[in-house]
Amino acid sequence: MENKQEKPTDPFKPARLATSAALGILNENYYNALASAKADGKPVIWITSMAPIELIYAFDGIPFFPENYAALCSSRKVAAEFCETAEGSGMSQGLCSYALCMFGSIFEKRGAFGDEGVDEPDILLATEGACATHPKWWEAMQRHFNCPLIIIDAAYTVDGETLPEHHKSYLAAELEKAAYKIEEYTGKKFDIDRLREVVSLSDQASELWDDIDDMRAAVPTPITQIDVFTCLFALVTLRGTKEAVEFYQQLRDEVKERVDNSVGSIPNERFRLIWDLFPIYHNMRLLNYFAEFGGAFVTDLYGNAFSGRVDSSDPFNSLAERYLSFFMRSASWGKSELYKKRIEKYHVDGIVFHSNRCCRCFSAEQPEISQILRDELRLPSMTFEADMVDPRVFDDAQVKARIETFIEMLESRKYPK
Amino acid sequence: MESEFYDAYSKRHELAEGWKQAGKGIIGYFCNYTPEELIHAAGIIPVRLRGSSENIALADAHLPTFCCSFIRSCLDQALRGRYSYLDGVVIPKTCDMTRCLPGIWKRNMKPSYFRALPVPGKSTDEAVDFFAHEMALFKESLEEYSGHKIDDESLNKAIKVYNENRALVQEVHKLALSDTPPLSGSEVFAIMLSGLILPKDEHSAMLRKLLDDLPPAKETADGAVRLMIAGNTFENMELMQAIEECGGNVVIDDLDIGTRYYWNHIEEGSEPLKALAAGYLRRVPCPCKHPAQPRLEHMLKLAKDYRVKGVILINQQYCDTHLYDRPWLESSLQQAGFPVLLVDHSDIGWVGGKFKTMVRAFIEMLE
Ligand code: SF4
Ligand code: SF4
Repeated sequence: MENKQEKPTDPFKPARLATSAALGILNENYYNALASAKADGKPVIWITSMAPIELIYAFDGIPFFPENYAALCSSRKVAAEFCETAEGSGMSQGLCSYALCMFGSIFEKRGAFGDEGVDEPDILLATEGACATHPKWWEAMQRHFNCPLIIIDAAYTVDGETLPEHHKSYLAAELEKAAYKIEEYTGKKFDIDRLREVVSLSDQASELWDDIDDMRAAVPTPITQIDVFTCLFALVTLRGTKEAVEFYQQLRDEVKERVDNSVGSIPNERFRLIWDLFPIYHNMRLLNYFAEFGGAFVTDLYGNAFSGRVDSSDPFNSLAERYLSFFMRSASWGKSELYKKRIEKYHVDGIVFHSNRCCRCFSAEQPEISQILRDELRLPSMTFEADMVDPRVFDDAQVKARIETFIEMLESRKYPK
Repeated sequence: MESEFYDAYSKRHELAEGWKQAGKGIIGYFCNYTPEELIHAAGIIPVRLRGSSENIALADAHLPTFCCSFIRSCLDQALRGRYSYLDGVVIPKTCDMTRCLPGIWKRNMKPSYFRALPVPGKSTDEAVDFFAHEMALFKESLEEYSGHKIDDESLNKAIKVYNENRALVQEVHKLALSDTPPLSGSEVFAIMLSGLILPKDEHSAMLRKLLDDLPPAKETADGAVRLMIAGNTFENMELMQAIEECGGNVVIDDLDIGTRYYWNHIEEGSEPLKALAAGYLRRVPCPCKHPAQPRLEHMLKLAKDYRVKGVILINQQYCDTHLYDRPWLESSLQQAGFPVLLVDHSDIGWVGGKFKTMVRAFIEMLE
């Protein structure tokens, strides 16, 4: 591993995609639109992930994702201060660090860029059904901002395989009610045809994303996990817009070109891995550390949480189905089944569990999933604890030592001497 | 502590083994959103799944330590075989932990009957219809498992048994409206605990006897400071006793095994499934339900009616649902003139000394 190259300066640094530069522009445009929303007369709706963003675009509103913003604060290294501020106001340190960080920013009226932070919401919109944190967090924000709050209810299905009809119709009715609530609060007329257009754009972006996801199965895999995490921005925030579709077309073409030319995402792919689940926003570089040993992340579930096909001819029912069949809603047995399929399709050698200590909802089942995969597929795994947003508990040396041990184990299995 | 109620609770596993040997089916369930009446109507004894103050050892291989110790302890107790008499388990989805638990429980405990129950987060008419539909499915699965038909009549009978029991516990609670409550807070706590596991008719018979035999009211109050305890569940009888040793008396509660559990009434009638759905969804809400306001109103009303001087708000560490409400409950109670003592509690590694110091200081401040 001594061969020094001119470019890139770091021989192990994975090759980022050219398209990710386009992301910077999308990002900037989005934040400009958010900043001028009040002046432009556009409603700003703060929304949870896994919530029907399509409704907001149908009203020509600007969605704002506190989760995303907290991630941004974390990568800009201001999250620890914000979390501390929230804790100082009586919020428990064990709470989701997205929430703590966002509250810190709200209380301090300070943003990710040392600016004044974002404007207050016109409406708060949360769904019950991704995690229990969402509605509770939104209720707490409602008490702070004293603005309208819409909670879209969805009972948990647990068994992700079959989606009972009454679950679908209950959520579809909730979505429709939410549309009329937004109409009431914004004074803008709800237009079902506009919703159909948005849903159709949302579907196109999802389809493109799914294509990219499929292409990750190529050996060597064409796109890094960091690119997946960062390029998700458009799917999360701009799903339902033309811009998102155009961006993913460009991204898909570039990824395809790499696959056609067998260009890998890292210089020397030796191990194909799964990352479960949340990014570590304050330490994305940790993903590169695997690359130093030839570890490439080839698939994940998080990246697919935000895509989902929808049918514009039946928007409410179809959105209901899409938001209910989202994989994270299935119990550990359902998630393990999903992984089993992916392990085969993507030729996976091992799985890395980021035990995200503040997210009980998606970390509690990891030991179980790890055991199922080990028992049934003999799939090696490693687990380490961190917090996605808050860097205060992260032990870099310890995590790296674990990674090295894990790689040694993979090495002896895959390339026995 | 001398109390036949507490004895029953302490010996709950032995008692259950006895029922089992007598040929009864037993189903363990979590939370306030499992309609026990259906299990009862199927001829099966429902028992509430509870943790313990015993150290957690076996569950750590299955759940990260940053999960609430209530669920970790319940799983640990099950893995240790304490619940080996259970024929089945029902887990309603109420919070992130009860949502993650089904897969883990099913795979490791392999109960012969298992149900993960979807529960809506709201209590609108649509939510009630939805939940009534879930009740019907739950009923079918119980019938299939038990071979015991559940008709409207048997369901109404079960509802009646449960209503009677709830009314009796409410009567016990109301005794504390007096300036000289005949029962201490810990005695009432023991009653609430035992009602979670004893068959309701048995518990009701014990309650009737207790109410009939109550000693005449004391002439003068004993000077104990009247308190409310609110928040998450706990096992620890020592906690209640510690409050009393410090000069306090818990006269009312807002606990998931207390008024939020017992202060419910289900309509008997021609549509028992719908009545169950409405009754369960529209009871005093746990924080997993929206909106949260009715719970605060319930707390404020109790605090006023029971003339408490202060509130001990007790929370499980890592319990997101409760913890998001905590700052709001604290400030709202305080504004209404009820000082609040915040306690982070876990039955495991319970620090009695520290707790007493806090409570003593709180009570001094109230006096
Ligand atoms: S990180 Fe976990 S707890 Fe936080 S909002 Fe996301 S799913 Fe919910
Ligand atoms: S409500 Fe809180 S204490 Fe109860 S199981 Fe859920 S997380 Fe644990």
